[in-house]
Amino acid sequence: MEIDRLDGRKANQLRPLACSRNILNRAHGSASWTQGDTKVLVAVYGPKAGTKKNENPEKACIEVIWKPKSGQIGKSEREYEMIVKRTLQSICILNINPNTTTSVIVQVINDDGALLPCAINAACAALVDAGIPLKHLAVAICCCLADSGYIILDPTKLEEQSMKAYAYLVFPNSILSVRPEGSLKVQGEPMEHGVITSGTQGAMSVDDYLNCLERGRAATAKMSTVLRRNLQPQIASDLSFGDAISRRDLSGMISQREFYGVILRLDLASASSTA
Amino acid sequence: MENKPTSSPTSFVDQSVVPGDVVLDLSNMTNQTLKLGGGLRQDCDAISVMKAGKLRFSNPNKYWVESSQKRYVPHAGDSVLGIVVDSKADNFLVDIKGPGLAFLPVLAFEGGTRRNIPKFEIGTLLYVRVVKANPGMNPELSCTDASGKAAEFGQLKDGYMFESSTGLSRMLLSSPTCPVLDALGKKLSFETAVGLNGRVWVNASSPSTVIVVANAIMNSESLSGVQQRIMVEKLIQNLKLST
Repeated sequence: MEIDRLDGRKANQLRPLACSRNILNRAHGSASWTQGDTKVLVAVYGPKAGTKKNENPEKACIEVIWKPKSGQIGKSEREYEMIVKRTLQSICILNINPNTTTSVIVQVINDDGALLPCAINAACAALVDAGIPLKHLAVAICCCLADSGYIILDPTKLEEQSMKAYAYLVFPNSILSVRPEGSLKVQGEPMEHGVITSGTQGAMSVDDYLNCLERGRAATAKMSTVLRRNLQPQIASDLSFGDAISRRDLSGMISQREFYGVILRLDLASASSTA
Repeated sequence: MENKPTSSPTSFVDQSVVPGDVVLDLSNMTNQTLKLGGGLRQDCDAISVMKAGKLRFSNPNKYWVESSQKRYVPHAGDSVLGIVVDSKADNFLVDIKGPGLAFLPVLAFEGGTRRNIPKFEIGTLLYVRVVKANPGMNPELSCTDASGKAAEFGQLKDGYMFESSTGLSRMLLSSPTCPVLDALGKKLSFETAVGLNGRVWVNASSPSTVIVVANAIMNSESLSGVQQRIMVEKLIQNLKLST
């Protein structure tokens, strides 16, 4: 039973992904993440000395500021801030720089569905760009549940509003390992089988939720490869020291970042059409 | 689409890694001492990556992740450029682009006594050496080398300071001399101080030379050796045409 999506995608197909790093000159780390028409820009500053009053000084503190595209800042922005903060706290290694604060500023450029997963992906890429030590990466995805029980991935805003329920899920990325059994184990299960964050809106049955988890996890494998490819250092061919990231566009040179963005889009479209 | 590789790779050395990758398995490496540099941490039996970058190995037993950031992680023995932020009775508070402010004791100068404490105003640029950088504590600096001599450390007067990434600083300090400094040095005369914390100071007799050198260094980050030389030639040609 096929479901017709407005933009012609199949149920499991994600929108074109584009990710760029190091776009802001003054921020210590920055990244933008685009899924179709949803675009989020994240800047990371830090670590800076000092923590807030209620925070534990033995650990590094992460503060998140969410800036909506328009309108005043209200309770929903505070909720997004809290969700992003908790997610990032679970992937950062907090005891490396005690008594410091890392500020993450999330700016929504356009919202066309799956806003929170897009923001979490961008925040993770920005933390890596800033060099904050992380345990692993986080990949986030949004799954929608239609009335017929059909699950679709990466909804647009219209689809989100017309569906019965949706869930956004954040998984650890798939890692490369020298060990044959792969990742580190947490309580007997490989770490990759875990879920970092899960939030739902609307009512769904337990079976539907477990289905969402399965589909979402399979899709994050593709997003993981996209993220990994984009986080590679851009280095000049005959220099073997340091990795050189193009900070300024020299006149006449095509910006490397734009080029990467186009390649990622084609790759994902062709990969998801065969899935 | 194949997700699981049929056999795991034997080594990740000289490859790009992202946080979470397990690069070494300690269970089959007993009785060896390993030295882990930046970007790696030990998690029970495995060494996993904390920062994205290229994994490097140096004989006999050193592993580290090479990456370039805008902020600096203080290590003992590094020479950095710091800016004085405040002065207390015993220390100057110096900003070195790290997680916290660093302390420079007022007596840490060659021939320093309580009677001849230097007076550094807020905003003074200093070339200093990191003496101690323990986790959780403020780093400690010194304006002398390990044997107590001044050795070019101290205040940098005049000139122009700009920020770079830590990767560019390492490239400028590498030996043999990096191509951009080599090409500039053949035609122009200037002096530079490069801090491993991502700050570079340039001084020359005329402002136009300072600007050309600073621009050349800033643009050389993503260029290969040959491209750097070509860029320097073009900049120097423009300089000659305008004078």
